Amino acid sequence: MAEVRDDLKYTETHEWVKIRENIAVVGITDHAQSELTDIVYVELPEEGKEVKKGDELCTVESVKSVSEIYAPVSGKIVKVNKELEDTPEVINKSPYDDGWLVEIEVKDKNELDSLLDAEGYKKII
Amino acid sequence: MLKRSPLYPLHKKLGAKFTEFAGFEMPLQFTSIKEEHLTVRETVGLFDVSHMSNVWVTGREAEKLLSLTTIEDASRIKEERSQYTAILREDGTIIDDVIFLHIDKDRYMVIPNAGMDETVTSWLNEKAEEYNIDAEATNVSKDFVILAIQGPKSRDTLQKLTDVDLNTVGFFACRYANVSGEKCILSHTGYTGELGFELQVTPTDVAKHIFMDILEAGKEYNIKPIGLGARDTLRLEKCFLLAGNEFEGGHTPLEAMLSWAINWDHDFIGKEALIKQKEEGDYPRLTCLECIDKGIPRHGCEVEKNGEKIGVVSSGTMSPCLNKGIAMAYLNPGFQKEGLEVDIIIRGKPVKAKVVKPPFVKQDWLKTHKS
Repeated sequence: MAEVRDDLKYTETHEWVKIRENIAVVGITDHAQSELTDIVYVELPEEGKEVKKGDELCTVESVKSVSEIYAPVSGKIVKVNKELEDTPEVINKSPYDDGWLVEIEVKDKNELDSLLDAEGYKKII
Repeated sequence: MLKRSPLYPLHKKLGAKFTEFAGFEMPLQFTSIKEEHLTVRETVGLFDVSHMSNVWVTGREAEKLLSLTTIEDASRIKEERSQYTAILREDGTIIDDVIFLHIDKDRYMVIPNAGMDETVTSWLNEKAEEYNIDAEATNVSKDFVILAIQGPKSRDTLQKLTDVDLNTVGFFACRYANVSGEKCILSHTGYTGELGFELQVTPTDVAKHIFMDILEAGKEYNIKPIGLGARDTLRLEKCFLLAGNEFEGGHTPLEAMLSWAINWDHDFIGKEALIKQKEEGDYPRLTCLECIDKGIPRHGCEVEKNGEKIGVVSSGTMSPCLNKGIAMAYLNPGFQKEGLEVDIIIRGKPVKAKVVKPPFVKQDWLKTHKS
């Protein structure tokens, strides 16, 4: 059974969001990493790039397939997890901690209200 | 409605994740594609490949029918030998690549790809009629489970279950053999580039215990059941063709790196077209590309040289053995020179790659990788 953490927010497209003041840390859920299988490549965005909620944020590839990861909130990408460039498998091993993808400086906190809570996410997986 | 292998319930019990392939719901992986891939390269893995087809070709002139319809001269292939070959249309394009097993006099088992059973069966029967050949093709795909046991420890594993001395079964030999007490067709063949054997098992209800017995026999070598995910990466590292990727839409054997398999000394359907193509020489050629930059090429990616399109990727993946992106691509003539640098366009961005000689993973990989 895939782990769903209570202290995170989720999207229907299987990203998770952790809010730290005005920063949203974004990754993919345990369910998503398990569905994708062995992750072997991550194409990260440039730091400083502005994204809108729902935009393609980055690409995660498993041996078998290519998956787009979408921005759960709008804002500026302030940090990307460069460790993943050499060790993308960390996403499989630690999707909620070491496998985080990017940090976004949140533009509009109201957008966070439309995200799912843990209970809501559990219902869709 | 997707077809399933008779072993579907067993795969489910073993924790398989399933995928759709050519109309079949088959295991994609049991634990992890990478792990399964390396298991086959390093020790031994067991595949259910029942999605592949089984067609009997029988009759007084069975050999003649196979010679006419494939690029192989079937008279060369003695009893208890098998051969990899291709069936062509009149225009030289590949209908399917197959292995045929010369089981005994006037009896051949042809193994077409998944979902190709009816196409190949009717093609063979039509040609038998058209050329007045006394032979018949019969689709028996539903009656067979096909198991593949592959990897350096495959012989040691399988030897425990049969009284046939497997050291005497040469590469591409085939014969009836008792395995786990059941009469199977055993062949020294595979699709992984490793030492390996394949079993044609009928009736299908005995396959389950053979499958479990092989897993048990291979325990000391850490055998694993292997899904289609690793089957694809294993074959691609060895540059074996995949129906639907390398000859989707009809490439010829000259284009598809199969010149070595064409036996020019006999007449076959498509031969004239191939001779003409060979003379003209102006055709795309399947070419092996290894990425220099990071990135994973995929089916359909365009290939460029100096900004000009020169071809398209037919299969691509991340090689679990090399940890690099690898691809087979149809490139225009003149771009096959080893070491030539090209760009594979992945999501709009050029990723640098170079032409390499097949296969991507050489025979001595395990030795060099262990040290």
